[in-house]
Amino acid sequence: MIISLVFIIALCVISLLGDFISPYAHDLQETQNSLASPSFEHWMGTDELGRDLFSRLIYGTRVSMAVSLLTALSALFLGTCYGAISGYVGGRVDNWMMRGIDVLYAIPDLLLIILITVVIGRGITGIFLALSLVGWITVARLIRGEVLRLKENAYVEAARAFGATHLRILLRHILPNTIGVLIVTLTFRIPSAILAESTLSFIGLGLTPPAASWGTLANEGWKALKFYPHLILFPSLAIFITMLAFNFLGDGLRDVFDVNQEK
Amino acid sequence: MLVYFLRRILWAIPVLWLVATITFFIMHVVPGGPFDREKKLPPEIQANIEAKYHLDEPILIQYSLYLKGLLKGDLGPSYKYVGRTVNDVISDTLPVSIQLGLVALLIALIVGLITGITSGAFANTIWDRMSMFFATAGISIPSFVLGALLILIFSHYLKLLPPALWENARSVILPACALGLAPAAYIARLIRASILEEKHQDYVRTARAKGFSEMMILLRHVLKNAIAPVVTIIGPLTATLVTGSFVVEFIFSVPGMGQFFITAVTNRDYPLIMGVTLVYAALIVLANLLVDLLYPLIDPRIKLE
Amino acid sequence: MNRFLALLIALSLGLGFLWVANQKEESGNFSAFRMNLSSEPPTLDWSLATDNVSIRVIENLMEGLTEYDAELRPIPAIAKRWDVSEDGRVYTFYLRPDVYWSDGLQVTAQHFEYAWKRLLNPKTASEYAYFLYDIQNAAEYNAGTIKDAALVGVKTLDHLSFQVTLKKQAVYFPAITTFTATFPQRQDLIEKYGDRWTDPAYLVVCGPFLLKEWHHEYRLTLVANEDYYGGRPSLDRVIFYVVSEETTALTLYETGDLDRVTLPPIAIPKYKSHPDYVQAPFLRGYYYGFNVEKAPFDDVRVRQAFSMAINREEIPRILKGGELPATSWIPAGMFAHNPTIGLSFNLKKAQRLLTEAGYDSGSDLPPITLAFNTDPTNRLLAQNIQAQWKRNLGVSVLLDNMEWKVYLGQLKQDAPQVFRLGWGADYPDPDNFMNLFTSTSGNNNTRWGNPDYDRLISEGASELDASKRLHLYDKAQRILTESDAPIMPLFFAAQNLLIRPSIEGLTINAMDLLSLKKVRLKGEIH
Repeated sequence: MIISLVFIIALCVISLLGDFISPYAHDLQETQNSLASPSFEHWMGTDELGRDLFSRLIYGTRVSMAVSLLTALSALFLGTCYGAISGYVGGRVDNWMMRGIDVLYAIPDLLLIILITVVIGRGITGIFLALSLVGWITVARLIRGEVLRLKENAYVEAARAFGATHLRILLRHILPNTIGVLIVTLTFRIPSAILAESTLSFIGLGLTPPAASWGTLANEGWKALKFYPHLILFPSLAIFITMLAFNFLGDGLRDVFDVNQEK
Repeated sequence: MLVYFLRRILWAIPVLWLVATITFFIMHVVPGGPFDREKKLPPEIQANIEAKYHLDEPILIQYSLYLKGLLKGDLGPSYKYVGRTVNDVISDTLPVSIQLGLVALLIALIVGLITGITSGAFANTIWDRMSMFFATAGISIPSFVLGALLILIFSHYLKLLPPALWENARSVILPACALGLAPAAYIARLIRASILEEKHQDYVRTARAKGFSEMMILLRHVLKNAIAPVVTIIGPLTATLVTGSFVVEFIFSVPGMGQFFITAVTNRDYPLIMGVTLVYAALIVLANLLVDLLYPLIDPRIKLE
Repeated sequence: MNRFLALLIALSLGLGFLWVANQKEESGNFSAFRMNLSSEPPTLDWSLATDNVSIRVIENLMEGLTEYDAELRPIPAIAKRWDVSEDGRVYTFYLRPDVYWSDGLQVTAQHFEYAWKRLLNPKTASEYAYFLYDIQNAAEYNAGTIKDAALVGVKTLDHLSFQVTLKKQAVYFPAITTFTATFPQRQDLIEKYGDRWTDPAYLVVCGPFLLKEWHHEYRLTLVANEDYYGGRPSLDRVIFYVVSEETTALTLYETGDLDRVTLPPIAIPKYKSHPDYVQAPFLRGYYYGFNVEKAPFDDVRVRQAFSMAINREEIPRILKGGELPATSWIPAGMFAHNPTIGLSFNLKKAQRLLTEAGYDSGSDLPPITLAFNTDPTNRLLAQNIQAQWKRNLGVSVLLDNMEWKVYLGQLKQDAPQVFRLGWGADYPDPDNFMNLFTSTSGNNNTRWGNPDYDRLISEGASELDASKRLHLYDKAQRILTESDAPIMPLFFAAQNLLIRPSIEGLTINAMDLLSLKKVRLKGEIH
């Protein structure tokens, strides 16, 4: 878990300081030297336009981390608001809000994501909005469950007896107790956002070039698996190790917070 | 029980109607029309085509026409595939997706349960570490990379399995693996977590005190309860697997339905978009219903509301 | 729990492998040619087919009045000969008497008249109706301004003579009649079976192969037509598999499951020395267009500078598919191709033009966006051109990629400053490429129009004298790519294929038409 944490912090540092670390500019083209294998000049080789893959991967780290962190956070925010209201108010309102979720849940994710990205348009904002709008549903269900359980607690009764407003009870007494669930969920949502972004690149709805993310790099590389394995190896490794780190961190945090959940 | 069942079935109708309505209107907001082509059509021809499919009518009229057809079970004509209705397209491709999806489900269950149970039973040993490493790998490799890797290893180098196409029983193995390994990894994680949690329950302590062996406790008691969360996700998982996956069908050239979740959108084949969405939604609703009905059988502590 | 699990496993096993029993492995010795189609054919109705996948299948099932020879010249097919009137407006086609449909009926002029009028009928809503717009009253009938089909200039003289009257002379007309949309059709069958007339069970054809099976989204099987008037083809079968992914198709070629495959760009360098590798020219041009109504491209000097600042020699280095760098628009292999026309790479002149236009350095220019539809080739090239403009002119250009249909909508409504498009030949005549940019053309997204250019194109279409015609197109190309420069051509594409050596008689032509009737299999039988 400590290793995971260190790794994730390192990723964040790379994201922020990428320009200082990378040996070349991410969009510098040496067309004479395209598709070169890894060497001393280019640790991870070069791509079809002769760009340094290592530099592009570092650049991609920033984009992938930003997109996944933002989508995970906004999905969490939306999901928490919806789930908390539904769970806290309860009764008929809860019933209807959950039925609403049933409906959204029955629409295929991928279809929704594509329709939204196509409508909103290209680039990071489209991807970010589409992924967050799909991701909040599971969060909402989770938080609702937690809130339903927590609001029966004695201290909530006590707060109510002292005349605390509903908003205050929710914000001060119930939600802080869900923080463990939230953090664990966050560590699981980030990797799935990274994957979802790579699927979007696969379909052709990824980032606008010459920007790169791990997803777009993996997508540019998978067809070359047999011919230029370095193009796919390094982006896949980056995704894999990051997922591993987040998952172990999530498991570790779950033990720390003693959260009984998975889903 | 029967009343509950009927109520759930009835509830499915407004759910499907809302799904249809939401999809219908989002779909029409998307820029670009079904008959926009690189080689531009003279306006007269464009008008002829639009008239043929009622695309020149106001959107609300189109919507009510669609719902009318839907009530009769008619999903409309495909705009892209001339002379085929959406019902035709779905009945051609859905069976293939179901076959592939069920084999993938089988792989997901077998691999997932074995890895997960091993991991849970021998928590914090090297077996656990290895299993969880595998499980993380399973959910962290994009499916297109996994597919390409499977083809390269099993068809190209080992020459064991066909790389693509849908000719005989061997054709199903690679795509089913590509489809099933990610859910397998997910199931493994789920069952591991669930086993660990159950191990702290009172009944396990009691059993231990009575002198049952750890293996016995695991198989007789723990597993019985730990399986519940897996059953919950099997419902929606099955629905997702049997409606097909664009990525896997694309890479392995499988003639299934999943491809239309993407191509119907890129072609702006409106009736086909609606068709595949409704099939998916209906299966999700049905799967969740089945899970709820099965639940009391698995876990007697739970009763239907 | 255990019982439940066992049930579930049994269920999946049972259902999952049920189809194994149903799968009939077809055996027997027959020679088959197997290739992939990049998608499911949207239709086999040749009045409605517009995409190269459908056309690839139809061109082996059917035949028209004329067909192309290896050099893409129209030669007789069902029409054994044709006459042209003095003024070049009336064509009379005389049909062979020995052509029969696969149900035994003779192919007659009525079948052509029906097919052409069906193509033009507004109710058919055919996208390719405009192919016949050179015919008198055809456009008007298709638009609905003329209701009476009898006024259209097509006429059955007797059952083997078919007469066409054009609006004005069009020298390329015999090439038009090679096109699938002009093939004959059977009124009786289409009326009887409606939309289903192209189902294998009902489809009646007159070409070298018959449609045996159409497993949607997966496979089409064609068998030799024993009674084909040109003699039974040597192949017993043609099998088309629907394989969209190029890398998958390539693997299938290597495992011996396909006999011809198009190489994915990334694989080309690795297969350059492969014995089965074939590279051939392609009548397909690729260009960037400028919206001449948007600054700074409302100034012709800026357009010229941008075109001159690109070293097109870099393109084949990046795309690696044998692309031919181009500054002119009529592709190599077509009449009037002239590679000396156009603005070649000239940095000094480009910078001077930019200065003259009032932009001392690249940073003085307003923000510029280059738009393209999402596609790996477009992505690669756009990034390279962006880098070249940055390097050579100091201009920062933003890239914007859109999904195909969104892109087309955007071009129509509000074309971006710079946009990418391509054009593949419908018929191998410069008119097909040059009339794109007339001021009335629906395919002209540049908002540019020049009456001189329009006049040259119109004269070129009806000029019979080759040297005069050449001169007209040279002049027109100079306006299009030099003096007015609403577009900057970039390259002509090439085909990169692997073809199994055992396949004989497969001609590769520059329009990627694939007639399989003369193909033979050497030695081995699959």
